Formats: sequence, C-alpha cells, structure tokens
Amino acid sequence: MPAITENYSLGQPVEIGEIHKELKKLWQERENAMTRASLINLALYSEKPGSLEKNTQLIARITENHACRALVIGANRKSKENRVEAWLNAHCHVTHAGGKQICSEQLSFSLEGPCVKLLPSVVFSHLDSDLPLYLWWQDDFPDPMDPQLWAWVNRLIFDSQTWKDFGAQMHLVETAQEEAKQRIVLCDLNWTRLDKVRHAIAQFFDHPASHHHFSKIENLKIDYGSGFKSTALLLLGWLGAQLNWKVNEPARNGSCRFVDVNNHKIDIELRQREAGPIGEVTINSSGVQFRVIPAQCEDLLEISRSGENETALPQMMPAQSNDPVDLMTQELLRGGPHRVYLRAVNCVRQLL
Amino acid sequence: MNRAADQSEVNPLREGLSTRAVPQPCSVVIFGATGDLTHRKLLPALYNLAADGELPPAVTVIGFARREKSDDDFRREMEEAVRKFSRQTVRDEIWKTFGQSIFYHRSDFGDEAGFKSLAERLDKIDKERGTRGNRLFYFAVAPDQFEPILKHLKAVGLNKACEGSWARVIIEKPFGSDLASARELNRVVSDAFSEEQTYRIDHFLGKETAQNILVLRFANAIFEPLWNTRYIDHVQITAAETLGVEGRAGYYEGAGALRDMVQNHLLQLLCLIAMEAPSDLRADSIRDEKVKVVRCLRRMTADEVSSNVVRGQYAEGAINGQSVPGYRSENNVDPKSMTDTFVALRLNIDNWRWWDVPIYMRVGKRLPKSGTEISVHFKKAPFVLFNKETNEANVLVIRIQPDEGISLRMQAKMPGTSFRIEPVKMDFHYGTSFGKASPEAYERLLLDAMSGDATLFARRDEVEEAWAFIDVIENAWSEKTNAPELSFYPAGSWGPEEADELLARDGRAWRRF
Repeated sequence: MPAITENYSLGQPVEIGEIHKELKKLWQERENAMTRASLINLALYSEKPGSLEKNTQLIARITENHACRALVIGANRKSKENRVEAWLNAHCHVTHAGGKQICSEQLSFSLEGPCVKLLPSVVFSHLDSDLPLYLWWQDDFPDPMDPQLWAWVNRLIFDSQTWKDFGAQMHLVETAQEEAKQRIVLCDLNWTRLDKVRHAIAQFFDHPASHHHFSKIENLKIDYGSGFKSTALLLLGWLGAQLNWKVNEPARNGSCRFVDVNNHKIDIELRQREAGPIGEVTINSSGVQFRVIPAQCEDLLEISRSGENETALPQMMPAQSNDPVDLMTQELLRGGPHRVYLRAVNCVRQLL
Repeated sequence: MNRAADQSEVNPLREGLSTRAVPQPCSVVIFGATGDLTHRKLLPALYNLAADGELPPAVTVIGFARREKSDDDFRREMEEAVRKFSRQTVRDEIWKTFGQSIFYHRSDFGDEAGFKSLAERLDKIDKERGTRGNRLFYFAVAPDQFEPILKHLKAVGLNKACEGSWARVIIEKPFGSDLASARELNRVVSDAFSEEQTYRIDHFLGKETAQNILVLRFANAIFEPLWNTRYIDHVQITAAETLGVEGRAGYYEGAGALRDMVQNHLLQLLCLIAMEAPSDLRADSIRDEKVKVVRCLRRMTADEVSSNVVRGQYAEGAINGQSVPGYRSENNVDPKSMTDTFVALRLNIDNWRWWDVPIYMRVGKRLPKSGTEISVHFKKAPFVLFNKETNEANVLVIRIQPDEGISLRMQAKMPGTSFRIEPVKMDFHYGTSFGKASPEAYERLLLDAMSGDATLFARRDEVEEAWAFIDVIENAWSEKTNAPELSFYPAGSWGPEEADELLARDGRAWRRF
C-alpha cells in the first residue's frame, strides 16, 4: 500500500495505468482516520535534476494551507531513454482547529526522453474532476508552447525572476494566453514577491489628503538584492503604470526617468545592495519622504513618513518572505485576474 | 462589502491589493478601557490587525476609564492581555511600535473636564501621529453609562468631525432591554451622533460563516430556486452553550435568553437566511432587506405566546460527566429567579417566500453541546418508488460556530442487491478546505468601522423592529394572570420537554445536534 507520509519521499512506485486504483485503495484503508481534501489540481513542472524530490518537499508544506491534488512532474528531454515512472503518496496535516488529519494526495511522474511530449496526456488523465488546474512552470517556457496543455490551465504560475530573457518569455506567455480557448490567469511569483512592499507603499496614500503627493513626486530610489533587478523593475513598472507615468529615459546604469501627465520629471535610482529581493524604497515628494525598509528581523517592514513639520513614526508591517512555499501560499490565496500586473509588465517593457 | 465607503477619491496604488474598503488612520477611543471586553477582545483584535499589516500605521488607541494609571501602566496591562488572549503569538518587534500607539486617559464618564482634555489630547495626537481628525469611539460600557458619555462628547464637540474627517461611535449590545428602552437609547445616541455615524456591533455578524450565508444563497444558482415555501418544510436555528451564567449573573438576571440572544444574534441570523437578494452590496441595501424580514415576523397574541414559545431554566445536572448547580443556586442569582436560560420559539414570516414555513429557534445555557447552527429542512420527496418505507428529507446545515462549514444530507442507495436507502452527508468544513485561520469577528468589525462599512452592523430600525417583536413575548411572560409557565430542565439536557412538544405538535422534531 502506498505510504501516507509527512516526510518528503515520493511514496510508492505505481504503474501509471494503476494510479486510480491505487488511489482508491489508499483512501479506503484510511477513511476513518483522516479526511481527503482537494480544492485545486496543482501541477508542478520542472526539468531541473532532482526536482521531483525538491518539489515533493514544497508540496508537503504547501498542502498545510492549500488542500490540493498535486501532480509533480520531473522531465529530462535530453535522456536517451524513453521512460515514464510514477509514484503516489499523501501529505497529511492536522488542521488549525486541531484534531482532524487533512490529507492531500501527490502523484509524481518522471518523464524521460521523447516521453516528455506526453506531458499533456499525463496531466489530463490524472486531474481531480471539476477542480481548476493551476500549473506551476518552474523553467523557462519552451518555444513553441504546447497549445493542448495551455487549453486546460486556469492559472499559470511562473517566476519571472528566473527568466533569462524577460521580453521573449513574456511574449511567449501572452501568446499562449491569447491562443488558449479559456481564460488563463498569469501568476508571476516575482509579482507576489512584491505584495507586501506594494501594500506598504500604497498605505501612505490611502487618505485622500495624501493624493496631492502623486503629482509632486520628485524622485524615488529602490534598492534590490543580487539577482532581483527584475523584481525592482516590476515594482517600478507598477508605480509607473498606476500613476500614469510615461518612460522618458529607459533603465540604464541604474537610473531612468519617467514623466507624469503634466510632463513633470521623476528621477529613478535603482541600486544593487546587500539586501533581500527589495531593500529600501524611498519616495520624495515636496519635502515629504515616504520610506519602506526591511526591519532587522527580516520578516517585517519598517515604514515611515517624515517631513519638515512632521515627526517620523516608524511602524511595522509584515514583509513578504522569499521562500517559494510562502510565495505560493500567498499566491494561492489570491483570486481573480491580475490586471494590475499586466499593466506593470507593459511598463517594464518600455523600461528595458 | 461596501467597497467605496467614505472614500471620495480612490488610491490608484490600492488597485488589485484589496477587495475591501481601506481602513483610514484614526484615533480609537475605548470607553471602559479597563473592562473585560477591552482585555479579551478589543486590544487583541487591534494587535492582530496590526500584526497582519491591516491596520493603518497611524491608528492610535486611547483607553478612557476612571481608574488612575499612566500610559505605561495601561500599555503593560494591555500587553499582558494581548499575550493572553491574542489568536497569534505576540512579537516583541510589533508590540514595540503597536504599544507606543496606546494611551490612557483617566476621567469619570460624568466629568466634562475629562472630555475637554480628551478633545485636546486627540487634537495633539492628530498632529503628532497623523490620525487626521478621524475618531472612532467604542462604548465598551454598560448602557446606563451611554448617556453621560454621549452628552459630554457632544458638549466638547467630539461628535462632529472637521471637513474631510469623520467621527463614529460603536456601541455594544444590549441595545436596550425592550422597545421603549431601545428607542430611548437610540434617541440618546442620535442626539449626539447621526445614524450614519452609529455602528451597533453584533459579533455574530462578524463571523465568517454568517457572512458566507449571503454567498451561499446568492452566489450559487442551485439554492435560490429552492429557497421558498414550495421546497422548504421548515428552518431550525439552534444556539447552544454548555456554559452556565458564569460571572454575568448581574446582567443575565435582568435579561434572560430571549433578550440576550434571540433579540439580536438569532434574529440577525434569521434575517440573513430569509432576506431577499439585495440590489447591490451597499450596507443599506443589505440592511433594507434584513429589516423587511423582521417586519414580516408574525406578531403573536398573548395566547399564541403560550403555544409558540417555551421558556426554561436549567436545574442541577451534569455537563461532560461533571455535576453542575442549577441556575437558582448560581452566585448572585435570586433563589426564586424566573429568568429564562432557555427559549424555544416557533415563528412565521408572513411573506410570499416563507408563507407556511415555520421557523423554530432554540437557545439555551447548560445544554449538552456548544454550537450555533442553522438547518434548512427541505420537503420530502413524494412517497412513491424508493420512498414508501424510508423517507428522510434533505437537510442543509450551516454551522456558524464552532467547526464552521456547510453540510447537505441526501438519500443514497446502500450497496447491495436490494434497494435500501440511507441518508448520507456531504460535508464542507472551512478548516479542511481553507488552511488559513479566519480572523476573529472583532477584527473584521473594527476594520469595517474604520473603513466606514456598516454592512455588518445593526441599523436603528432593525433593532427597534426586533424589540417590537420580542416585547410581545416578554409582555406575555410578565402578565400576572395566564402567564406561560417557566419549565425546568436538568443541566446537560436539550431543554424542557415542552420544547420537543413544540415541534412534535407539527409532526417534526429538533435536529440531532
């Protein structure tokens, strides 16, 4: 019988044609002790060596908050062998309320050689019916993308921070989205990474009396960690798109310039520092400085507003963790289309 | 639910970040700051909001009470309370900044000078902390203290806000003890604050499942066509608790279960179950529909009260294997008390949707289990084919607390060669499906008040209509002649036998809880 585990093993190997039968056996035998739960089909695809084990660890933690049927797929296009292997296991957690064991099942597949082309078939034949399909694509997208697969996807999850060519990859994704017969919501974990810092910046301007600052912003500085320039550009793209700024000078050597609707110039400085994805963000507007910095304890942001006649009152807000499980957990809590993201992406294109 | 509440201009940076109205920076003045509610609910709720990044940073809490203490004393006291009662562990880094936003203002509620100095202090806080003249006054005090507080707030001008700012008042139940006192209370409140400024809190409405009733009914096409007299046989609402009167005898002796629970919580739940679809999700659109339900409740004559309402009081018994005393033996309770600790009612809503669909409610202390549930009992399928021998009805259960969720009972064929039919249950548990813990009701409601969203707060007409209905029953009970008897039930039972007879007369039974 396949193992019900809280560890990170792939579980018991099963014949691919026997998966449904083995799943049934798994739950029948444990029916009274635990509850099987699933709200989504979550497929993870990676071509990185060792991804099956790594993603099993991620799924074990993601299912603590999001009950799902996980389809973990590891592929190796270059392999000379032509082989499909499958495993079955379950991740069980005690609910927040305590008492009940809630279990999510994980089906793992290893596709080697020409079998990689079977990806849509592997995914489609093992979906939990009537539940949406979220596909987390962990590599660069291939060109061309398989239209058969995208036609079934409800939310496509990726991390643009890892892309080698943002423009080309985004073009591929958007083309696939346009061609898909159903609506695909694009979920960029690089965007999720900005969630809390966007909250922190937005709250400065919640009161209508602060809105006049939008037209008086003179400059802004964004610090970013090594490898996270794309994250900083997305943050900038968001501000530019939401505040109706136009790119005046694209990003070169760590600086760029926007102009607002009144042709007022906004100078931008992007600095790489020893920091998390996003370090200090400072916005200067007519003598008032809005500042967001990571707090020493790292999982909090310190925010403050200061000016000539104002006392700075630093406050703490939660920071977004860069852990992939936390990013996924946050992303899975969100619903609806990400229109604001798409506008930010358009602005980033102009910056590049 | 009111997405645009109180915000004339929208912050473009909020787009996509929040689907609710954004709370605004304000000073929260808590009257009765040294009381139980502040310790157990209000400060922990405010801390949790701050820790989740939901609270605007400038929000400042001012505890107002009679006892002598400094800001630091009050902060220490609140820190202890939050560490004890918060749903999440208190983090020193967050407490450090949150704690600095807490202040204490000592004054008697009847001392105008204390309110003048409060006004000065709030002005200073506005300048220092950026609360922008927004004030939220929370009345965590007994209703008899409302009048002096309101009078003095008005006298020093704190009931009015400067242009572009707001002043709001949150009042805790009980909103009166009968229609006359509720009207008087509303008059006193409205003398200082308009209805738009007044937020009457009913924490049941802040619970996730209570809010989900509207989603269940109006976001799912399968229920609404069945939600009427043609398909529904009856509805049951049960609010049970294992606890006795605990330390609330002083209040409870004068209130009883009918006033304490039915007038507010249970009638609010009934409104959500029975209301028509609102035209939109604005606070008043929803509250307009809710109040129509209360207006349609069939008013009972004194004789009808005898046959449609059962009142009970718990006697000595056992809960979870432990002996517990009867109500009359509890501390501070009159040994001859006639206070109701249990009420069961049969109600009718006189409108087209609910014509001839009885609503049974029961609420009680010292019952075998704690929980609040609504069950919608559908009519039975025709007595043909499979249903000749066993014919159970479909029941939709909405669990408000604990283990929030929804279940549906339906008939299924037992495996085998014969056609044996048995009921099975489809069960949805919030805790199972959504890993994220729900915020406490007070968190949601405080945030709503700061955002100007009154959807989950009771409006004046709702409260008064509910009292008008309840008064008929209370009056019948207090009649010297022909008053319905008070029945006794052993603690740990499901109430007096008369409660079972109330349904048995109609050929029905209380759902097994």
